[in-house]
Amino acid sequence: MNLFRSEEHARRWSGYRAEAAAGLLPLAQLHAIFSADFFRQRLSGRYLSDFKTLRADLVATVARVTGNDPFWWRA
Amino acid sequence: MDPALLDRAYDFILRRMVEGGEPPHFSDLARAFSIAPEDGKALLRELMDTGIPCWLYPDTDYIASFAPFNLQPTHYRIAVDGQRRGFGQCGFEALAVTWLYPGRTVAVDSVCLDCGEPIRLEMRDGKLLGSAPAGLHGYVDVPFGEWPKNRAYS
Repeated sequence: MNLFRSEEHARRWSGYRAEAAAGLLPLAQLHAIFSADFFRQRLSGRYLSDFKTLRADLVATVARVTGNDPFWWRA
Repeated sequence: MDPALLDRAYDFILRRMVEGGEPPHFSDLARAFSIAPEDGKALLRELMDTGIPCWLYPDTDYIASFAPFNLQPTHYRIAVDGQRRGFGQCGFEALAVTWLYPGRTVAVDSVCLDCGEPIRLEMRDGKLLGSAPAGLHGYVDVPFGEWPKNRAYS
């Protein structure tokens, strides 16, 4: 997971794969994902106890922010 | 294992890293919880098997990465109020460091892997204060559902 100076820089990078184009997100969308409680609650003292709930919330956040693009759920 | 003990172990490790940037050894964990070293090792291993985005060095019991931090150098250098605080686990997790330092300014200094030119962003209490250049993007070629299968690559 890497940051690039722009979308064009990411697409030019040697590690870029066109079939994973949906994995390219602007900073605002990344910021939205990494503002989920999964990341905010790490010092809650109950992180492991709440982990399943926090992960479910993160899954919902990723789906919302990415428009539920199938790439993110490919297995 | 007692879930409350896993909560405490996770909290102990992360707070150590937040405060000093260094992860504890399992013997530190054992001492802190008044248990035998072997039990400290078992506690650390069980914690790492819970699915949290953290891992040990291969074939050791040494913490290699504990999100959002990484113990080996990455190209995501973290500073808190201008003081170095180690490395972000990846470009994405670097954005989450801000939540560990309420009321303080967290800076991420990196380079673009395409051109080698600098990237910088600053955050405070989860808010983006600024980024340079404008138009930063992040990229990952591993789907979200596969991150746990190979966290180090992701």
